[in-house]
Amino acid sequence: MKGLTRVTAVELKLIMRDPMSAFFALAFPVIMLWVKLRGGNKPLPGGPATVDATVPMLCAFVIGLASLIVLPTTLAQYRERRVLRRLRVTPASPVVLFGAQWVAHMLLAVLGSGLLIAIGAFGYGLSAPADLAQVVAGWLCAALSLSAIGLLIGALVPGGRAATVLGLSLFFPMVFLSGAVIPRESLSGSMRAIGDLTPMAPAVQAIRDGWEGNPASAATLGIMVAICLVAGGVAVKAFRW
Amino acid sequence: MSVIELDNLRKTYSATPALDGFTLRVERGEIFGLAGPNGAGKTTVVECASGLRRPDSGTVRVLGLDPRTQRRALLQRIGAQLQEAALPDAIKVGEALRMYAALYDHPADWRELMDEWGLTGKRRASFGGLSGGWKQRLFIALALVGKPEVVFLDELTTGLDPAARRTTWGLIRAMRERGVTVVMVTHFMDEAEALCDRLAIVDQGRVVAQGTPRELIARGRAASLENAYLTITGQEQS
Repeated sequence: MKGLTRVTAVELKLIMRDPMSAFFALAFPVIMLWVKLRGGNKPLPGGPATVDATVPMLCAFVIGLASLIVLPTTLAQYRERRVLRRLRVTPASPVVLFGAQWVAHMLLAVLGSGLLIAIGAFGYGLSAPADLAQVVAGWLCAALSLSAIGLLIGALVPGGRAATVLGLSLFFPMVFLSGAVIPRESLSGSMRAIGDLTPMAPAVQAIRDGWEGNPASAATLGIMVAICLVAGGVAVKAFRW
Repeated sequence: MSVIELDNLRKTYSATPALDGFTLRVERGEIFGLAGPNGAGKTTVVECASGLRRPDSGTVRVLGLDPRTQRRALLQRIGAQLQEAALPDAIKVGEALRMYAALYDHPADWRELMDEWGLTGKRRASFGGLSGGWKQRLFIALALVGKPEVVFLDELTTGLDPAARRTTWGLIRAMRERGVTVVMVTHFMDEAEALCDRLAIVDQGRVVAQGTPRELIARGRAASLENAYLTITGQEQS
């Protein structure tokens, strides 16, 4: 336990010291929030105020960024530089070492989400979530499913650069098509249909549902759990120190 | 009982034998060297002894423990610096020591260790900004943070300038003075001659000669350990 918390604390510091990940996970989503709300907090077609849809959407964006880009880059870089091999000749179990990586990267997403929520609430009149427990559950399922994919990228690519490139090339099309950047309500039907096939779509949907008070969809949560189990299982099998 | 007992190890990587009947004993409190040409199997020996690799056959006992079945217990009692293993560039010296200490059940006091190895002044320095010599000093301190009885060092001084190498020798001797058994892989015969109580010359996956540096020089009828090494491994230049 002492090992897990210590490694997690150090990893989180290392992530924050990297200007790229700190900027993209913390500053960039806030800039996007500002851009989206520059024209005022108008209601979207179908009901919710722009800010009440945008903050949950950008939370999914932050989770995706930490999971699909930062996490695999860290893991692949650590393999390349033999950081993982050095840790492997300590008594720490792989569960502790990977658990710490996972928690540290998810804490980055927590910080990014918290920042968006705080700025949304104080700056743009964000409503309180309709069902907080559902938001938290949706957030966690999103984190589990997307980080399992990130772990799989980290397991398969040879090095840090390849991980960043692959992560970015999955992340950007996904966030634009799945409604994490542009609200689903404003997407064309065909784009929405493609976006719904990406693992980012249920993440956006689940967090928005909880915030806006739509009933939780068992299918949405189930898909994320399934992605987590399949991608995570393959990643653990394929992982090389 | 010897601290390390390796018996008849065999390990094959895709049809190439890396270890081919490798047998070795290392006694408590000595600095033991492993020397030999590239690809001779030295690193594989260290990896088998520290539980990173399983030999195809043969037995490994380190401190009486079998790395295959008692890996975690063994890793509490050994330290290792593997070839080219590194730390993240952004980690600070103090953070690295504190983090590694947290991974052991009964670690050394990391602040004391930092002090003893002269690292306190570099406490807030990032790993990526350290010179080669400071990096090795940190690696040694990290290898000792679990209060190990045996430490494995794989090519610790490769890439260091001569002054930093000499300083590192002093650090390795200081480890032995604390009763730690040191197993080191090296390419440098001057290093083996200066540091090792005994060494084994490894070629094609087995020990082809072993003894004190003086014994090996006598055996190769050579003027220096380097000449003896070249004679024994058949790489003598005419």
